[in-house]
Amino acid sequence: MAGFSSMDDFINETTVNGKFSRSDWNKNVLPTTAQVAGMWHDLSTGAGNPSSDTGYGAGSGTNLSFQSLTDQSTLSPGIQHGGNVSPDTKHIVNASAFSAAATSMPAVFMLVDRIGYYGMTTTTLTTNQVLINSITFTANAGTDVITTTGYDIASLTRVQLTTTTTLPAGLSLATDYWTIRTSGTTSTLAASLANAIAGVPIIDITDTGVGTHTITAFYDRQTSVLGAGLKAYVVVSSGAAVTAMGAGTPNISFTYTRPDTGGTDTGRVTPVVLPVGLTAAPKGTIPYSGTGVGRYGPFMPFQAADNGIESAQNFQISATYTSGNLNLVICRPLLTLPMTTIGVAAERDLLNQVPSLPRVYDGANLTWLMYAGAATPVNSAFFGHLDFAWG
Amino acid sequence: MAGFANVQELVNAEESGQTWFATWRKSPTQVTTIGIWFDLSMSPGNPVPQYYAASPLVAAAFAASTNGGLYHGKNVTPYTKHLRQVLALTVTSTGLPMPMLLCDYLLYYPFIDEGTTDVQPLTNSVPLPRYTDGKGVQMMAVSVASRTGGQSFTVGYTNQDGTAGRTTQTVIQNSVSLNGSIVTSDRAVAAARGPFIPLQTGDTGVRSIQSVTMSGTDVGLFTLVLVKPLAQMQIRGIDAPVEVDYFMDFSQAPVIVDDAYLNFLCCPAGSLAATAIHGSLEVVWN
Repeated sequence: MAGFSSMDDFINETTVNGKFSRSDWNKNVLPTTAQVAGMWHDLSTGAGNPSSDTGYGAGSGTNLSFQSLTDQSTLSPGIQHGGNVSPDTKHIVNASAFSAAATSMPAVFMLVDRIGYYGMTTTTLTTNQVLINSITFTANAGTDVITTTGYDIASLTRVQLTTTTTLPAGLSLATDYWTIRTSGTTSTLAASLANAIAGVPIIDITDTGVGTHTITAFYDRQTSVLGAGLKAYVVVSSGAAVTAMGAGTPNISFTYTRPDTGGTDTGRVTPVVLPVGLTAAPKGTIPYSGTGVGRYGPFMPFQAADNGIESAQNFQISATYTSGNLNLVICRPLLTLPMTTIGVAAERDLLNQVPSLPRVYDGANLTWLMYAGAATPVNSAFFGHLDFAWG
Repeated sequence: MAGFANVQELVNAEESGQTWFATWRKSPTQVTTIGIWFDLSMSPGNPVPQYYAASPLVAAAFAASTNGGLYHGKNVTPYTKHLRQVLALTVTSTGLPMPMLLCDYLLYYPFIDEGTTDVQPLTNSVPLPRYTDGKGVQMMAVSVASRTGGQSFTVGYTNQDGTAGRTTQTVIQNSVSLNGSIVTSDRAVAAARGPFIPLQTGDTGVRSIQSVTMSGTDVGLFTLVLVKPLAQMQIRGIDAPVEVDYFMDFSQAPVIVDDAYLNFLCCPAGSLAATAIHGSLEVVWN
């Protein structure tokens, strides 16, 4: 059985079997604009270790398409956590964070596993924009490559295939595959995340099949119920090459499919009062957080009793931003870490103090979200560590 | 069966995502007084403030869907939602230490006039929106226009069993000229209370309020508010946040009913002006 059956088992796994890993991280807050007091921010956008996210928005992929993230993502790196451990399960044992930067306190950090995001460069449109989770494809039996047009699928994306008639030989319906991206329009497929990371073996495709075939991206790192426990937040794209967010205070909403309840699960909507975006929101900011009507933090509100997101279908802003990129990020919250005092580390023992041992799935893309209690100067540095154990 | 039969069910609910986490931030502008309970729902921040603005002496109901309050996610019926954790911190010491009381605000009767000793009948155009039998529902008097202080009053109400004609104990008003302060709370005046008005002996809750009678006149106005206290905590200092896990620390998990309007009462040790109080709230349902 995966996990830890007792304290003795935990000690044995971490000490005798060496199933323990520590990662130290340091991240600067937003590089261009002071963090706004009372708002949430995505620290992946700041400099440090891991390096700043350049994948958000126009950085990679097709506009409005789902871009899967893992610990292997080069444009959107996460805090390293020691690699894949299946069939064991990995858990966070301890966490810490501190800063010596002036006016950086108070703050609340939240560690999330970013499953992926939908980058949106079309923030000057108020139409209901369709998010891309699937696309038709053709297969090449000679090269084992599948070709898509209109959806640049990231490497290591978990996908399933459907067809109007018969899939190419070698491929199966209702089966998970992981992509190995070879270009903006081509990928090969692997039977597991581990195989996709290794690049071998790839699925051998022996004919082109019959009919029209469709490849659909799924959120990876799932519990037994697809999408359960996942949350969504919107963040302003970062990076020097990205156009800053312009003026605008739109209502922000999205539609989604909730985890299976046995009933109708599609067409779930953001409930009123709708989140309201901050005008000229700084890069890396969650624009509807903060104070005032329509401000939430940090997650987009769900429809009644919904416990997650299986997939997102549409995104809409009620009024235009004059410029800038937004991203709808799908994540799994793991832990929170409040800080009150400059120079004093906030430490969390997740075995004894807060017995939860949050699970870190293979491929997790770990990132901190930050609630800034005070206006925090640009590039204020935060440091900390995470301890992982598995068994 | 809604709720949690055991720890395993709680863990399963959290593992399956039946949780919501949200942050809040209150930044009072009011110069509060040591030992006087204060209603943080009237302070700026997130959630946005409310000012008990409705027709005088006529009952008005609170609901998350129409009034806001601390965001705790949407309704979960047929599940029941429980408070799991609350975090609160501040880096400004003037108001500390400070007990805080999380309440579900239910019903209020605005603009009760302190300038008359006539019996002031209140109109119950709407009933309690939640906790409709009144069990555990408490009554508080929130200042909305300042006074000299020192006058007493009683309140006529219907108790948790539906018995009308009940009368609160006589309470005396403080002299704090501060909107949002609880007018009957004081730490140095005999017969002052706080934060709730003591009910007639034997009563445990309030279903509705029928009248208010001042024993002497003053110049202020107050609002009578019916709330259901849910959970308490204390911010002790600026060097550490207060984090309460109601399940682990108190072996309880207060229920948050659908559409509950949540906000805090607090009892500061000094002025809260220019004090930002930050926090989060986590709920779980099953």
